[in-house]
Amino acid sequence: MSVSSYSSKVDVKAREAALKVLYEKFYAVLEKILSGEPPKLVIKKRTLSNTIYEPERKLLLLGESVFERSFLDVREAKKFMQTLLMASIIYEALSNGEYPTIRDLYYRGKHTIRYRKLPSKSVGEENTWDEQAESDSVLRDIEVFTNVLREEMLILSKEKGKVVGNLKIRSGDDVIDLSKMGHGAYSIEPTPDLIDFIEVDAEYVLVIEKDAVFQQLHRAGFWRKYRAVLITSAGQPDRATRRFVRRLNEELKLPTYVISDSDPYGFYIYSVFKTGSITLSYESERLAIPNARFLGVMMTDIFGSSKLNKKPYLTESERKNFIIRAKERDIKRAKELKEYPWFKSERWQVELDEFLERRVKLEIEALAGKGLKFLADKYIPDKISVGDWIE
Amino acid sequence: MAVVEENFKSISPAEFFYKNKEIAGFSNPARALYQTVRELVENSLDATENHGILPTIKVSIRELEVVPEGAYYEVVVEDNGIGIPPKYVPQAFAQLLFSSKYVLRQSRGMFGLGAKMAVLYAQITTGQPAEVIVSPIRSKHVYSFKLKIDIKENKPVVLGFTTTSNILGGHGTIVKLVTIGDWTRSRQRIYEYLKRTAVVAPYAEIVFRDPEGNYLLFERSIEKLPPPAREALPHPHGIDLETMRSILKSISDKPVVEGLVESFQGVGRTTALRILEEARIGVEKRAGELSEPEIETLVRVMKNYRDIKPPRADHLSYLGKEIIVAGLKKIFEPEFATAISRKPSVYEGQAFIVEVGVAYGGKVPVAEKPLILRYANKIPLLYDEGSDVVYKVLDEKKGIDFKVYEVEFPAPLVILTHICSTKIPYRGVGKEAVADVPEIESEIESALREVLRELRSYVLQKRRELEEIEKAVAIAKYIPEVAESLSRMYRVNPQEISVKLLDLLNSRMKSFKIGSLSSIVM
Repeated sequence: MSVSSYSSKVDVKAREAALKVLYEKFYAVLEKILSGEPPKLVIKKRTLSNTIYEPERKLLLLGESVFERSFLDVREAKKFMQTLLMASIIYEALSNGEYPTIRDLYYRGKHTIRYRKLPSKSVGEENTWDEQAESDSVLRDIEVFTNVLREEMLILSKEKGKVVGNLKIRSGDDVIDLSKMGHGAYSIEPTPDLIDFIEVDAEYVLVIEKDAVFQQLHRAGFWRKYRAVLITSAGQPDRATRRFVRRLNEELKLPTYVISDSDPYGFYIYSVFKTGSITLSYESERLAIPNARFLGVMMTDIFGSSKLNKKPYLTESERKNFIIRAKERDIKRAKELKEYPWFKSERWQVELDEFLERRVKLEIEALAGKGLKFLADKYIPDKISVGDWIE
Repeated sequence: MAVVEENFKSISPAEFFYKNKEIAGFSNPARALYQTVRELVENSLDATENHGILPTIKVSIRELEVVPEGAYYEVVVEDNGIGIPPKYVPQAFAQLLFSSKYVLRQSRGMFGLGAKMAVLYAQITTGQPAEVIVSPIRSKHVYSFKLKIDIKENKPVVLGFTTTSNILGGHGTIVKLVTIGDWTRSRQRIYEYLKRTAVVAPYAEIVFRDPEGNYLLFERSIEKLPPPAREALPHPHGIDLETMRSILKSISDKPVVEGLVESFQGVGRTTALRILEEARIGVEKRAGELSEPEIETLVRVMKNYRDIKPPRADHLSYLGKEIIVAGLKKIFEPEFATAISRKPSVYEGQAFIVEVGVAYGGKVPVAEKPLILRYANKIPLLYDEGSDVVYKVLDEKKGIDFKVYEVEFPAPLVILTHICSTKIPYRGVGKEAVADVPEIESEIESALREVLRELRSYVLQKRRELEEIEKAVAIAKYIPEVAESLSRMYRVNPQEISVKLLDLLNSRMKSFKIGSLSSIVM
């Protein structure tokens, strides 16, 4: 019995769709070769300069500027070969009903080309690719070129997002009740598009950057008490977590709040959820959550703000205990953020200026340190009820 | 040119050279062995190529007996030249300064006495006579001589003479000398000399047997000979006092006008009369009657006389591009060789032609500096490189910058320079270096720059080709991978895709095509 016979119908459909697109998109290469024309791929550039912020839709998108990857161009020949190699491996995996990880793709494609150098005739050896970074890079090129994302090609990556809450889903052929996970949580699967939402009883989605804080809130029964879907991205959010949150927001119309560390890196994590990331801007349309709200932790939560007429959540002595001196790279990063168009709003500028003036940062754990009760029953509910978030 | 005759009136020329043998290059046994080989080989080359014969020269050195100063060596040089008529043999080999005419002819030896010096030196050191065997062209006989020089009287002494029938019908000369030499200390020199001679005489076949029994063969690689050197009269601009005295003496009975007309090139009756008028010499005078002040004035007027054609150069024997390239290719097996012969030029009334060749890459050894092969009238100049005019042109600071010509040292580069002239302006008596006469220096530089420009084009072209080859391989090595990938997706025959891709790649290459993928991808 083949492995594929276990696959759900949803899988089979996804496979067929992805196979079709791959087949059609790369067919042009074959046609060119057969008709004696130089084969090439025209792909949108994945560079910062071709990453465009669209203020109306509040999305980081890939621009229209393209480059040609021609096989007969000596600088592009290897990348061209790698792209076709990767495409064919994915194609085979899809046909065979497999679920390769990006690491698998790397190993499947990696082998040594032995060739004779001229005019010396000495033997040279070269790997199709050496580092996974190379195979990952052409995978991204293929996603952009075909407009099919890796999840849609059933490629798995290591996912770390977790979720609990009053939510029933169907994954594969199973129905899972996310309110019955004990002290554990449901690991968001690499292909969140294959999930069906069956039943939900929640008022909002709360995303916590830090896994430890997520676990504390979970054990404290936060999501049950406040009817929330509680999610952690465990650091920089991966694609599956972002897609999962996006679907909750878009399909179930649940307001989405994000809590991260109070420093430029935390702020940026929020912005990835909201507008997308620079490296994966081609996925923003599918992954970004333009109405995601930054709940905290804000610099003004720590210090208050006379300009906003806002009182601090921490006393002076608590501040002293919890804050950490910012490092040079934090300062540098904050200055970069200040220049990103999607941080140009007045509200964000207040937060960034406050950071640059105070030159201190605060981790979410510190708030939990003041008392889990404070975090769960005061800080989060208060901020949501008074609307103290940044949109 | 028998300029020297006048100087040695009081003593016999043979005696003079005996006392000053280092002038002719016979200063010690090592140098003498080398010089003996050299003089005899050069004689042989002159006796062949100047008469339209492709030279075949056999050189052999055998050690006979060890003596305190070195060893007795039997040196035999055999050629297929015209073979001197037997009646001239004693004078030609055993009488110094045997010459009759005051004409200029470019030849290897300057005084035509090299072989005689070898005979003389052999006689002095070993007491053995020279053996000369000649068979002129179409001669029915072979004539063998045993000769010595009467040093006091400068006269040949024939110790033996035999005639045999020329059964094989060949022609040429064999010279056999027994001389004191030092093979160990001259080996390097002799080999270098023969090799360098072979470079400019690719039309010659040269066989050498050394005293250790090793044979070295330079095969003939081209059937073309350089144009023979022809005799020419001296040009008025090139005259000096000594030559003038000799010329006047040889025509002493004739009226000076006639004498000038028949002794100089470019001088007709009108010109001769004008010269004499300017020198205030009576037309009626005979050549032998001129006073010393008159001779001096005549020389000055002639040297500065403007209304006269420049010296002729058609009598010069230059090698030409084809021979130089053939020689460089034969000896060095370079990947690239070229040469040029400049148009004739003049310095101090002497016509000269400069030729420069380069050999690059291939089996040319890589070195920090170019290997310089200098020649004057086809003679290799082996020593004293530092004081030669060529060295000035190549001076590292002020001379030619090779980088301009895409040559960066260390590099595999040979530079050959050849100056041919009726009079080579040697620096010193060693005749190993040419003085830096501005006209010659400028010609060498122009010639060198010209061949280096050709070399540069070649290097650049080669570089482009190499880049193209590398580029072709850089792409071709991925073809099977691309073909396999497409085959996985579209079930097409990967061979077919590979062939198409290779065709496409080849169609983009200008200078290089990959025959089959299997020659690249393993």
